[in-house]
Amino acid sequence: MSTSDQLTVTVDGVELQVAPGTTVLQAAKRAEAWIPTLCFDDRQAPFGACRVCMVAVQGAPKPLPACTTPCRDQMVIDTDDATSRRVATAVVELVVSELPQAPDPHTELGQIAERLEVTDTRWPGDTHHEGHDFRHPYLAFQHELCISCGRCVRACDEVQGAFALTATGRGFESNVTAGLNAGFEDSTCVSCGACADTCPTDAITEITLLDGVVRERSRNGNDPGRRKRRRIASE
Amino acid sequence: MSTIDAGRFDKTVTTTCGYCGVGCRLEAHARQGRIVSISPADDGPANEGHTCLKGRFAHQFTRSRDRLTSPLIRENGELRVASWDEALQKIVAELERIKDTYGPDAIAGLASSRATNEDCYAMQRLIRAAIGTNNIDNCSRVCHSPTSFAMRKSLGLSGATGSFSDIDHAEVAILIGVNPTQGHPVVGARIKQAALQGCQLITIDPRRIELADYGVLHLAPRPGTNAAVVLGLCHVVRRDGLCDEAFIAERTEGYEALAELLDAYTPQAVQEITAIPAAQIEQAAHIYGQAASGSLLWGLGVTEHKYGSEVVQLLCNLALMTGKIGKRGSAMLPLRGQNNVQGSSDMGALPDTYTAYRRVDDEDTAQLFEQAWGVPLRREVGYKIPEMFDAAVEGKLKAMYVFGEDIAQTDPDTAHVQAALENLEFMVCQEIFENETTKYADVVLPASAFLEKEGTFINAERRFQLVEASIDPPGGARTDFEIILTVSRMLGHEMGWQTPWDALEEIARLTPHYQGVSYERIGRAGCQWPMHPDGSDSPTLYDQYFDRPGGRGAFAALPYKAPGDAPDREFPLVLVTGRVLQHYNAGTMTRRTGNADLVDRDWLEIHPDDAKRLWISDGDTVSIRSRVGRTELSAKVTEQITQGHVFTTFHFPETRTNLLIGQSADVNTSCPEYKVVAVDVRPIGEQAAFTPQLETVG
Repeated sequence: MSTSDQLTVTVDGVELQVAPGTTVLQAAKRAEAWIPTLCFDDRQAPFGACRVCMVAVQGAPKPLPACTTPCRDQMVIDTDDATSRRVATAVVELVVSELPQAPDPHTELGQIAERLEVTDTRWPGDTHHEGHDFRHPYLAFQHELCISCGRCVRACDEVQGAFALTATGRGFESNVTAGLNAGFEDSTCVSCGACADTCPTDAITEITLLDGVVRERSRNGNDPGRRKRRRIASE
Repeated sequence: MSTIDAGRFDKTVTTTCGYCGVGCRLEAHARQGRIVSISPADDGPANEGHTCLKGRFAHQFTRSRDRLTSPLIRENGELRVASWDEALQKIVAELERIKDTYGPDAIAGLASSRATNEDCYAMQRLIRAAIGTNNIDNCSRVCHSPTSFAMRKSLGLSGATGSFSDIDHAEVAILIGVNPTQGHPVVGARIKQAALQGCQLITIDPRRIELADYGVLHLAPRPGTNAAVVLGLCHVVRRDGLCDEAFIAERTEGYEALAELLDAYTPQAVQEITAIPAAQIEQAAHIYGQAASGSLLWGLGVTEHKYGSEVVQLLCNLALMTGKIGKRGSAMLPLRGQNNVQGSSDMGALPDTYTAYRRVDDEDTAQLFEQAWGVPLRREVGYKIPEMFDAAVEGKLKAMYVFGEDIAQTDPDTAHVQAALENLEFMVCQEIFENETTKYADVVLPASAFLEKEGTFINAERRFQLVEASIDPPGGARTDFEIILTVSRMLGHEMGWQTPWDALEEIARLTPHYQGVSYERIGRAGCQWPMHPDGSDSPTLYDQYFDRPGGRGAFAALPYKAPGDAPDREFPLVLVTGRVLQHYNAGTMTRRTGNADLVDRDWLEIHPDDAKRLWISDGDTVSIRSRVGRTELSAKVTEQITQGHVFTTFHFPETRTNLLIGQSADVNTSCPEYKVVAVDVRPIGEQAAFTPQLETVG
């Protein structure tokens, strides 16, 4: 079964054949093993920035990122390794600690946080300040939700090729902007929405969806930003 | 997107986009009977998890307040609300009266390239079996009918020879008369990514399209001279020994005649005709000829010309000479304009053919359908769309049943179309909105949009894809399928289907190319016709033989001929028309969405030198006059367009761009020459004491 152009790897005890160039993350997906990811999107080249997809590889001194590590023949991978999970959980906890509110359950970040049981944060410092841009007819920026994963920028570059989005700022001030902070409409944006599609936090999302969320929230009465958001969204 | 998203939507349906011919698979998310969001399906074969602002965002039109929600009947010159019973009875009574008085050929029907295969198939059956005439056509007449004609003649089948994925494997791609980043955005994005990864793009267009910036070479021919460009490329390929001699010998016929013709098209001679520098013709031919794989993509900039179909045949020559066909990376890909322009023609909504382009005057085919439908069928070819208008003006055509096409807005020579529609005794429009055409209708039926119906579309890769309803038609609107079946039944011809899937079963049963096609077989991945007896489909055509008698591809020795219109002293500029990214054709849908906030008007693009000479500044209102009509637009001064030419879109009815277009049309298929119109442009709005005359002729 094993031919010269196939590699044999073991994921959580399951042995499988993969083609050279297959990443550990791809192999794990085929073995139906779950690895949390934040900066990864199938439609883009692996980025390896978030350090959430860590796994243990037999013989490696420390956890490795699954999305950028290519499989080697006879590799033995443990996706449920305790150290790796502790790293991933700490990363998600740090990311969440910068947000002014808990991630929405429908977002990818919200779902990963839930699965990794990140409910509270041990680091209560400053959180991102609200920065909204609802000028575009369809696309909304909520800068305070940006976790600088770079997925929107890469979707814009690698999927659409509009090159409209840019990462800006450093450290805590890291964020994303359209053009030279011109808003979607006055940048090279072609309104394809690939950024909103890939965003794991709703930092970029669809106005119509936001409106729905806001309407629901306002019924619950727990969203201080709702009036402003509603007004702009319904303009 | 996080389609992992449950709470916000109460229904998510995977369907196929109803805008362009790319055929993106979409996840339509609805809440309380309204579309709230659309995201691309990750497993969509044509879009692979991506889509554009039309597919993703331009859906609010479905619940626009001016949607037609009940039938309308014209009474004392005004349309009034009517019941379905009343409207249907009026249609049946009038069609029967006209058929009895003038014969069935006094009635014509138009199927829609926006509608499903099943809708179109039902429509042609209604016209052929219930009315008894072959006067059935669809809007592919005015866009890619020349492509269909030419590819059938040169290669055998009416469709792309490969798939969009060939772009990823092409060393070279030639784009001629097509602007994918505007008209077919998802394929445009794919081409751009391919170019960024090393695919050499050659763009050929009078306008400097966006993809020209990503290419190795941009050729800007005079409008209407595509034939000379392609002949020049073939000349250089042959002269410099870049032909695939073995392929020519084993797989083709008619090369000698072409070779003889090519002698005259030296780069220098081509430069004289096209204004493209001879060195660029040579360079382009070398890049294409030397590559191991190369794909050809074209659009309406090739077809909508007096000799559009011949240019497509010449493009086939280029691919055949170099053997760049029927293998990975070497495909001929016509980018079809509308979502189902391929399917509506495949389904036989044409005056001369049944499904899969089998002719109405072919005895075996006619008998096959007579047997299936239980009625005698005519062997005489019916009217094409332009012939319908001519016949209406002459008084030979008395009634039209127009389904999903705004002919008064989109067909050329608006004044002629209006005269034709005014002259009809009876017209039915089956539509989702009132439009320019419904102004002439006697009965208007409220129909459904693509998000409200089920069936199949066929994309520009010949791929059947499923369409499923995520919301219901609003108010009293009904699906087109249901309406057509009801009218047919009331006219005495029962089609015997319950759902579109029954119609699809009949289509597959009566058409060998579509054998085995069904809801289950199409599934999420789709299938590309022709289907084989073993159930497999055809992502690539002609890898072994061509679908012509003898199995060989046919060269066509066709010389360059001048276009139907040319600039002169009175009309010194050449107008080219086209689309923008944000809007779609007549704009019926996109103008009723947020896309209108992004682009709210048509513009006339004009080169700075021409603008200066004509005293036109950016944003000025200008008058555009052609030999047949006049309209007004805002000017946009830009170097995207070459000197001597102007460009505009046709998305807004107030512009009436098609008032300017004359009767010139493709010699083989009657596809109108939208792309070459001599015009006079001058500023208006101020009482100018003197307007300078443009001296140079483009």
